[in-house]
Amino acid sequence: MRAGDLAEPFPTVSLSTDGLTAARLIGEARLPGLIVCEDDGSPHTVLGGSQVLRFMIPQYVQDDPTLARVYDDAAAEELLGRLSTKSVRELLPRRQDRDDLPVVDRDATTVEIAAVMAQLHSPVVGVLDHGRVIGAVTVSRLFEHLFPDLPLTGEGHSS
Amino acid sequence: MTTVLVLVAFVAAYVLIATERIHRVAAALGGAAAMVVLGVANAQVVFFSEETGVDWNVIFLLLGMMVIVGVLRRTGVFEYAAIWSAKRAAGRPFAVLVMLVVITAVASALLDNVTTVLLIAPVSLLVCEQIGAPPVPFLIAEVMASNIGGTATLIGDPPNIIIASRSGLSFNDFALNLAPIVVILICVLIVLCRLMFRSAFTFHPERVEALMSLDEREAIRDIPLLVRSGIVLAGVLVGFVARPVLDVEPSLVALLGAGALVAISRMDAEDYLADVEWSTLVFFMGLFVMVGALVEVGVIGRLAESATSAVADHYFLGSTVLLLASGVLSGVVDNIPYVATMSPLVADLVHAGGGSPGAAAAWWALALGADLGGNATAVGASANVVVLGIAARNGHPITFWGFTKYGLVVAAVTIPVAWVYLALRYYAFT
Repeated sequence: MRAGDLAEPFPTVSLSTDGLTAARLIGEARLPGLIVCEDDGSPHTVLGGSQVLRFMIPQYVQDDPTLARVYDDAAAEELLGRLSTKSVRELLPRRQDRDDLPVVDRDATTVEIAAVMAQLHSPVVGVLDHGRVIGAVTVSRLFEHLFPDLPLTGEGHSS
Repeated sequence: MTTVLVLVAFVAAYVLIATERIHRVAAALGGAAAMVVLGVANAQVVFFSEETGVDWNVIFLLLGMMVIVGVLRRTGVFEYAAIWSAKRAAGRPFAVLVMLVVITAVASALLDNVTTVLLIAPVSLLVCEQIGAPPVPFLIAEVMASNIGGTATLIGDPPNIIIASRSGLSFNDFALNLAPIVVILICVLIVLCRLMFRSAFTFHPERVEALMSLDEREAIRDIPLLVRSGIVLAGVLVGFVARPVLDVEPSLVALLGAGALVAISRMDAEDYLADVEWSTLVFFMGLFVMVGALVEVGVIGRLAESATSAVADHYFLGSTVLLLASGVLSGVVDNIPYVATMSPLVADLVHAGGGSPGAAAAWWALALGADLGGNATAVGASANVVVLGIAARNGHPITFWGFTKYGLVVAAVTIPVAWVYLALRYYAFT
C-alpha cells in the first residue's frame, strides 16, 4: 500500500493562524499535530501537539517541573491564554530546515513513511501530490495498517 | 630551562582557560599533561603530595556537597521558600526582591553559587510574571547576592574551599571572619538594587491575587524526605562547626552526609549522581597539577620571596593590594584558577608573617577580592553565565554590557566596603 492510499483528510492551518485555534483543532479532532501550509497551499511543516505545549508552558516551568504543581486551575487557564496572542509562526521552532519537512509523495511506501516519522520524530506525515497536501498519515493509522490482525494479549488489552 | 618551559606551559594553559578558546577542562588537563611531559609531575607527586599534588580534600568536599545538593533540590524546599516569601511581601516588587536576595544569599552560603541560581531563577521568573514585574533586575540581583553570600562560608564558593585547604582555616574561621561582612554587603546590595532598578518596582495591586493563588505547599513533593534531608544537612553543618572537637576533615563530613542522604532517600545512583559536575572536579585536578608544578620548580617560592620583601611588615598594604588586584582580576578571569595559583603564594606570605592576625588577614583579602570581583562582569563568575543563559531561554536576554554596567557598580562599592572592614577589624586597632 502507498501513502496516497493510507492518507486521510487532515486539517491544515496557515502560519498566521492563531495558536489557540490550532490548539483547539488538535484537541477537538484528537490529532497528534497539524500540517502548516504556506499561503499557496504548499506544506511548510508539521506543528506537533508537544510544540504547542512547549509554548503554553513557560520555559522556567520546563526547567523546574516542581513549579507546575503550584498553579491552581485559574492560573492554568491564564497559561492557556498565552496561545491566543501568538500565531502558529511563533509556535514553530525558529530554525526551519526545508530538507526536514515531514512529508512524502503519494507513491511512498509504508517503510518510507515510517522512516520519515522515525527520523524527524513526527507523529504525522503529510502526503503530497504535485507539491500540494492531499492528506496525512498519522502514526496510529500507519500501525493500524502494519499490524492489522495481531491479537491483543496481556496488559495491552483495552476494555 | 625546565622552569621556563613550565612557566610557558602554565601561562599558555591559563590564557586558554581565560579566553575560553578551548573548553577549560581540556586546557587544564593539557597544562597538567605538559607538566608530566616536562618531568615536573609524576604519579607520586600528582596523587600523594599534599603540597604539589591533587588536593583530594577539595575534590571530595565538592563531590560530597554536590551529592547532598542533588538530593536536597528534589525536595522542592527552595521553590517553597521563594513563593512563601514573595506572598509574605504581598506582591510588592521591591519587598519581593529583598526576600529573594536574602534567600539566595543564605542558600548560597550553604550551596555552591551555580546550584543556587539554578534553583532560584526559575521560581523568580514565575513570581515576576505573577506580579507583573520585569524579571531581569531580579535575576541580576540574585546572582550578585549568590556571589556575595557564597563568600560567607568555607563551602559557599569553590575559591573558599581551596583557601581553606591550603591555609588550614576551619569552617568556623570563615564564618567568624567573613559572615559579618557578607551581612553588611548584602544590605549594601539591597540599597544599590533600590537605586539601580528603581523603575522596576512599580506595584500592580491587581496582580496580587495571581501571586496569592500559587500554592507553595504543592512544591514540597516528599515531606518525609524533606525532614530527613534537613536533619542530615544540619548534621553536616554541625560536623563542619565541631571540627575542633571531632577532628574530622570537612571533606569526610560532606562524604558521610552524602552517604547518609543517599541511604535514606533510596534514590537511584544515576539520580543522585546527575548533579555531580564531573567536569568541574576534573578541572580542579588539572589545576592542582599545574599549580603544583609551579611550586615544584620554585616559581611560587621566588614570587612569594619578592612579595614578602616588598610587603615587609606592611601587611595592611599587602592585603589592600591583594584585595584590589583579586577583585579586578576575578572580574575578567575565572576566580578558581586565580585562587588556586595565589593560594601557595599567600600561604608563604602569611607564614613569613609568623601567622600574626595582620598577616593572616591576607587570606580574607584574597577570598573577598576573588568572590566579590566575580560580580563585576557578565563572565566574572560561572553563576553569572548560567543566569544569562536562563534569562535568554525565557525570552529576557541580558547582554554582556546589560549585566556589566550594574556589575561594575556593585563591585566598585562592595570591594571598598570590604576594604574598610579589613582595615577596621585587623589593622586599625593593632
